[in-house]
Amino acid sequence: MNPFDLRGPEFLVFYFILSAVVIVALILIRRASESDSAPKLDLADPYLIAYLRGGDNEALRVAMVSLIDRGLLIVYGTQIQRASNARPDSVRRPIERALLETYARPGEATSIFNDSKLKSACASYEETLKKNRLLPDQLVVNARLTRFMLALFVLGGVGGIKILVALDRGRTNVTFLAVLTIIAIVLAYKVSFPRLTGRGKAMLADIQSLYSGLKDRASFIRPGGATIEPMMLAAAFGVGALAGDGFAYTKTLFPRAQKSASGSSCGSSCGSSCGSSCGGGGCGGGCGGCGG
Amino acid sequence: MSLMTRITDRVGLGWRPKLAAGILSNLDRIDIVEVIADDFFNAPRRERRALRTLAAQSPITLHGVSLGLASSVPVEPKRLDQMARLCAEVTPVSWSEHLAFVRGGGVEIGHLAAPPRTAATIDGALANLARATTIVGVAPQVENVATLIDPPGSDRDEATWVSEIVRGSSCDLLLDLHNLYANALNFNFDPVDFIARIPAESIAAIHLAGGKWIGAQGARRLLDDHLHDVPDPVYDLLAETAARATRSLTVILERDGDFPAIGCLLQQLDRARQALAHGRARMVDEAEEEAAA
Repeated sequence: MNPFDLRGPEFLVFYFILSAVVIVALILIRRASESDSAPKLDLADPYLIAYLRGGDNEALRVAMVSLIDRGLLIVYGTQIQRASNARPDSVRRPIERALLETYARPGEATSIFNDSKLKSACASYEETLKKNRLLPDQLVVNARLTRFMLALFVLGGVGGIKILVALDRGRTNVTFLAVLTIIAIVLAYKVSFPRLTGRGKAMLADIQSLYSGLKDRASFIRPGGATIEPMMLAAAFGVGALAGDGFAYTKTLFPRAQKSASGSSCGSSCGSSCGSSCGGGGCGGGCGGCGG
Repeated sequence: MSLMTRITDRVGLGWRPKLAAGILSNLDRIDIVEVIADDFFNAPRRERRALRTLAAQSPITLHGVSLGLASSVPVEPKRLDQMARLCAEVTPVSWSEHLAFVRGGGVEIGHLAAPPRTAATIDGALANLARATTIVGVAPQVENVATLIDPPGSDRDEATWVSEIVRGSSCDLLLDLHNLYANALNFNFDPVDFIARIPAESIAAIHLAGGKWIGAQGARRLLDDHLHDVPDPVYDLLAETAARATRSLTVILERDGDFPAIGCLLQQLDRARQALAHGRARMVDEAEEEAAA
């Protein structure tokens, strides 16, 4: 059976199924080729985790909140300025130094997203994540491109040939097929080039799973820079996950981040069997803690 | 090769979800992480994968709490299978379980109970340990437990009972020093004598924890609740153990609640390192004195 001899509606069904198969194949092949066991990463750096989650914008957001939390940047509405006692050379990480230099004079918080100097301060994170194949390196990009070109050849070729055959036979009702072909190609592009590799996506999910206990008690986490917990929470789940009143300024500074964080879900962490078997802290034996 | 170059002690912390940020951001000061294995037996795939990711960041050791190995009742093969699968997935440096029973007559008692210290429970424990070693593929480290009552029906003391199990099996000993300390105070024996009597060559791991006093005056008991800081005498016992143990030790600080700032827990790890160093120095001195004599 020659599929190009199918009538219009039948061919549309055929093409729809073909597109679905190609797209699913693209996803499965990409996942299989990009998945690997988790690498050892510097999980003490919240900006690296934030970069993994959302690129330089997220790393900069978390860095800015960290500096505000430590009193090195001051918030005036939607504006930010460096505190009078803060010096760029007093901080360790280049991204923090760059932010302190940028806000030597007052500026809008959201201006960080268009500042090339700040973005270049994040370059080392991109490099680290590419080196660990959590972001696509050139090899991965080439493999993705090859697969996408094959998909383009199949989807564009089959759709295009059928349109030519139809036109050759004097039929002009090819709009549905043309639209379907374009949608299929756009979808194929989207699934071929996600920001993270399969390994990166799994690593991010794992980090979020490991930190899920932190998210569960986000409202109890206090500001003030005493612990790294707020920054790890923001790094793993976004600054919108900082729920306490002490972080209310993040809603003003980054309203979009609030929305995206509240929309995310991470599930619950493993519960400690200790809590369940002891029913509290008072048993004299129990698990892990109780006599264990 | 000198004694000390063969020995590389490690000091780590028990993984608890609430400590995640503190642990993951201080892995340069935490040599190893101990994970409660039972939390992951029936965990979704996502959580087990997260555990593998944790294992990629730090060496981990798995700690069981529900096998009930020290029992005349055979350990449930299903639980051993779960432990075996988890060990295969995360390749821990070791796994451990308590010398306790946790169920009887089909009833879960939700507690690590000390069995009567008799030949029958030794035989039961040895059979269970052999079963566990066969199914998991690696022998567990076995841990002494704390108890608030002296197990009725016992015909030997704890040091004898533990030593007989360790000598009769291929298992190393996970010596919980706070359990030992609590039992010693509650039942009036010398913990240093206990350490001297157990086979030093089988001590491979140490647990540190804290507890609190409970009960009325005259019937007070030290409860090993894991909710308090490690008391000073337990560090002394750690130094004593390090002076006698002939192998590298893995020391784990267990904290199950009332979590202080991570800095406080890291300080306790530093104190454990100091105690280890003191004990090891003493061991070298004594070895040199022996050689000179």
